Amino acid sequence: MKQAPTLSAAFLHPAGSSLPEPLLALRKERGTALVDMPLPTRKTENWKYSSKYLKLSDEMAISLPAQGKTGSSLAVPGYKVVFRNGIMIPEASDYPDLDGIMISRFGDLSDATAADLAAKLDGTLNRNTVQLAGLNSARFEDGLLISLSPNAVMDQPLFIIHEVDADASGSAFPRVFVEAARHSQFTLVEEYISAGSEPVMVNTVTEFVLADSAQVTSIRLNTEGENVQHIGATGVRQQRNSRFASHCVGFGGPLRRHDLQVRLEGEGAECKLNGVVVTQGKQHYDNHTTIEHVAAHCNSEETYRNIAADQSHAVFNGRIHIHQDAQKSNANMNNKNLLLSTGAEIDTKPELEIYADDVKCAHGATIGQLDEASLFYLVSRGISRRQANVLLTMAFINELVQQIPVEAVRDTATKRLNQFFDSTFEEA
Amino acid sequence: MATTDKEVNELIKREYEHGFVTDIEADTFEPGLNEDVIRRLSAIKGEPEFMVEWRLKAYRRWLEMDEPDWAHVGYPKIDYNAISYYSAPKRPEDMPQSLDEVDPELLRTYEKLGIPLHEREKLAGVAVDAVFDSVSVATTFKEPLAKAGVIFCSISEAVRDYPELVQKYLGSVVPHGDNFFAGLNSAVFSDGTFVYVPKGVRCPMELSTYFRINAANTGQFERTLIIADEGSYVSYLEGCTAPMRDENQLHAAVVELVALDDAQIKYSTVQNWYPGDENGKGGIFNFVTKRGAAIGKNSKISWTQVETGSAVTWKYPSCILRGENSVGEFYSVALTHNYQQADTGTKMIHLGKNTSSTIISKGISAGKSSNAYRGLVKFGPGADGARNYTQCDSLLIGDRCGAHTFPYIESKNKSAIVEHEATTSKVSDEQMFLCRQRGIDPEQAVSMIVNGFCKEVFRELPMEFAVEAGKLLEVSLEGSVG
Amino acid sequence: MLSIKDLHASIEGKEILKGINLEIRAGEVHAIMGPNGSGKSTLSQVLAGNEAFAVTSGEVTLNGENLLELETEERAREGIFLAFQYPVEIPGVSNLQFLRTSVNAMRTHRGEKEMNAAEFMKLAKEVSRQVDLDPAFLKRGVNEGFSGGEKKRNELMQALLLQPKLAILDETDSGLDIDALKVVADGVNALRAEDRAIMMVTHYQRLLNHIVPDYVHVLAGGRIIKSGGRELALELEEKGYGWLGIKEDAAEAAN
Repeated sequence: MKQAPTLSAAFLHPAGSSLPEPLLALRKERGTALVDMPLPTRKTENWKYSSKYLKLSDEMAISLPAQGKTGSSLAVPGYKVVFRNGIMIPEASDYPDLDGIMISRFGDLSDATAADLAAKLDGTLNRNTVQLAGLNSARFEDGLLISLSPNAVMDQPLFIIHEVDADASGSAFPRVFVEAARHSQFTLVEEYISAGSEPVMVNTVTEFVLADSAQVTSIRLNTEGENVQHIGATGVRQQRNSRFASHCVGFGGPLRRHDLQVRLEGEGAECKLNGVVVTQGKQHYDNHTTIEHVAAHCNSEETYRNIAADQSHAVFNGRIHIHQDAQKSNANMNNKNLLLSTGAEIDTKPELEIYADDVKCAHGATIGQLDEASLFYLVSRGISRRQANVLLTMAFINELVQQIPVEAVRDTATKRLNQFFDSTFEEA
Repeated sequence: MATTDKEVNELIKREYEHGFVTDIEADTFEPGLNEDVIRRLSAIKGEPEFMVEWRLKAYRRWLEMDEPDWAHVGYPKIDYNAISYYSAPKRPEDMPQSLDEVDPELLRTYEKLGIPLHEREKLAGVAVDAVFDSVSVATTFKEPLAKAGVIFCSISEAVRDYPELVQKYLGSVVPHGDNFFAGLNSAVFSDGTFVYVPKGVRCPMELSTYFRINAANTGQFERTLIIADEGSYVSYLEGCTAPMRDENQLHAAVVELVALDDAQIKYSTVQNWYPGDENGKGGIFNFVTKRGAAIGKNSKISWTQVETGSAVTWKYPSCILRGENSVGEFYSVALTHNYQQADTGTKMIHLGKNTSSTIISKGISAGKSSNAYRGLVKFGPGADGARNYTQCDSLLIGDRCGAHTFPYIESKNKSAIVEHEATTSKVSDEQMFLCRQRGIDPEQAVSMIVNGFCKEVFRELPMEFAVEAGKLLEVSLEGSVG
Repeated sequence: MLSIKDLHASIEGKEILKGINLEIRAGEVHAIMGPNGSGKSTLSQVLAGNEAFAVTSGEVTLNGENLLELETEERAREGIFLAFQYPVEIPGVSNLQFLRTSVNAMRTHRGEKEMNAAEFMKLAKEVSRQVDLDPAFLKRGVNEGFSGGEKKRNELMQALLLQPKLAILDETDSGLDIDALKVVADGVNALRAEDRAIMMVTHYQRLLNHIVPDYVHVLAGGRIIKSGGRELALELEEKGYGWLGIKEDAAEAAN
């Protein structure tokens, strides 16, 4: 048997950093665990369809410095934090002191708070299935801790703009940790953008820990450029009656990978995961989601839509895992895909793994093309074929776009989607 | 209403009816596998040179392969050198020339299993090839079939009598290197069934093979090859049983189907290998590769399986839909109980234009068992206008079992359409209450509900087998309702 | 025939029936009325033996025999029939197969010969016509894809087939249009017999215009708070449950 390639040792040298000691210790420990880590191949089940897009050269191993400026496409109506190449830029950030809400970069944490945080980091993720995102824990140079006290309600969404800008190859490791105490409410928008053209890796981890009855909404918009290989992971743990909603909108790239893992650990917890992905050219996008029903009486609802044009490749892998004690679970997963061109590829794998008997689980997946009858109907009303294509394609995902609860994101997403359609459907 | 869960689980207890051992003198190889064993096996069967070479090539390839570990099953490591690769009832001279020469003890065994082989008692309208451990012991209705031009014989005979057909098609659908177990089978297969239906012939009766493992410490490695020439039709059924033994036994079969233009093959399986006892001791490891190539235009391959036996099942009857307008179907009921594990499903590989496939899978898990559906639906770039519809439903009985669904869907053609639906539920308390309120016994109620759940699949089985399949799922109360 | 004494029953620890007393004699038709959530359906389910409900005290006898000791199917074979308010679907099991299994279970219990498929088919067709149900329904899965009205007629058809001693009809009139109501009422009237008792559970008195009950009982908060004749239903219709000091919403909230 051929030896599988392993992660180059060059990636295991974190940049010097002003992080508090407990976090530096954590980095070191995680780094040691990654020595000789096999890189995913076609035979690695959770990278089956995407390993071929992963191209890590040693030049990409260095940490990018916190410089450059990209400029968000979002009109930020709320509070804003800017991360440049994984490092927070206080002078570009703008948020007030809020009652019961702590927002702090990792570098500013006291040793005691940092020790507390170090014990919690990675706690939401199954490190066996987010192998590469694990690199973030060995390399992060900064991060943002958002901690909501009981009953704290953030009155506006917090926007984190994750910029990558570099004139050389390298990597960035943005890190976010959100703790929502009981009955707190919070909406986080994360936008990933980039400038520059040298190959870079953006390796992100965002974690949410929801206490009883906390309500958190996470919005994730990825519009990074053609030089960025993005490997991201989001982990969520939910206690009793908490509510988590996720809205992801992603545009393809040379490698786009997002793992979203939710654990429903308290009775009555609910999550709703929505996702929209569009790819064109030779782009790629791979969403892997896992919802674990650990406690009884939890609900999960998942809806993902992919559109692949040209020679692009979109992947969806959704897994619902109902644990033995999670009786009366209700889980629904739906994945619909639109293949706009022969030459493009869509792979989907909606999985159910069920160990409790009194549950209601269903999943559905379809792959198809635009309905010819609908196209014809529109064209017969004098609409151009191109316009009809755009209308119907937009209709395929619009329902999910409209559910995004922050207008600025909805507008930007719609604008970017229209640009995508403009370049996908040729003028007649 | 937690009480009824337990009750329902108790209700599905089944006794294994076919667990007896036939006391018969047998020629059995010493356990172990090497090139000499393969040569000896081939020599005993009087095979031509090409066959020995074919086996050895497979064996050398197999040595370099790894046992698959991706299935959702767990079992102790198999020592392939502790298995005997050949066991056959001792017979005075080579092959019996007629049924009268078959050892009466063997005939009694098949009678006991409900498969009478005697001319006068033969199953009406069903021709049977009876495979006992490593060899085919009898084939019925050979003459009327020969009259129609249908070749129905053991694969050993086919290797000797129809070497051109065998050479052309053997391994054409499942090559040596396809997977670990298929590789092993290619090296050591001892017998199995061969069917050839000539152009334009509709096979006048159902063909069937009845597989019986009897000897201890042996594996059964049968090979089935069915070729349906242009415009022909054949319906084939197989049944399987084995004695109750505390040791696990390996069954690694390969089935290859080839359908040419406008041909149809309907392949049905009722698999009832010994599943092990209620503590998970013993039982058959059923690691089987079944694949059909619909290479001709308008051809059709249909798999129907009812899987109730085996300790561990690893099996994915598949269709390669190469011919234009070709059709693939997979209808499956898999029931697991006690500590049984099943990882089963299908692959539908759409290569040709306007190919279509249907997958209906019904999994029933009870006791501490694990039941997984694993399927692949794939559309190649040339599969214009291809369609797939998949429905997989799981029924859970008891809260200590698992039901899993792992569907892989891959499309590279924009005009191809796939629809996949899956649900998981349990026999509901409300359904049980309705039945009992109408005076129906709880065990009868469960049996009725489970049979109803499987109806779409049973409908696809030939009549006699549908009845047998229904019975297999039937349950006995055993005074356990409290 | 049926005698209920101080019956208390609860579900998941919550008491729903709080001391029911009721005597039903052969040949009588009793209507149980009451607002939503008063315990009407619970009473029906408890009599039929639904294990979801726990009987905490009281006694129920059928012709002198302790009913509470019997399993659900034994009660059915002793002649208790419940027409469900929400009949459940059993996919893949044909109505015909289900009904024949049921009828034969009863016959076996009575020491009669089982009916063969042909005999049963003939009988079932007859009865299905009686409730204006297309015999094609016999071949469909039990209640599978039936409309609300079809489900109710299917329930009634079963009552006619099984010829029970005590027929409990749980809101068999709900959701029916006036024509369907008439069909159902005719069916119920056909069930009336000297040796049979009928207990009708209903929210409205509309059905009682077609099936005249011998007694009317008002159930509220888990107790029978008033009993009377036919005129009680009319009075209720006119004055509403508020007349008896029952707040409908409150009753619902209490349960």
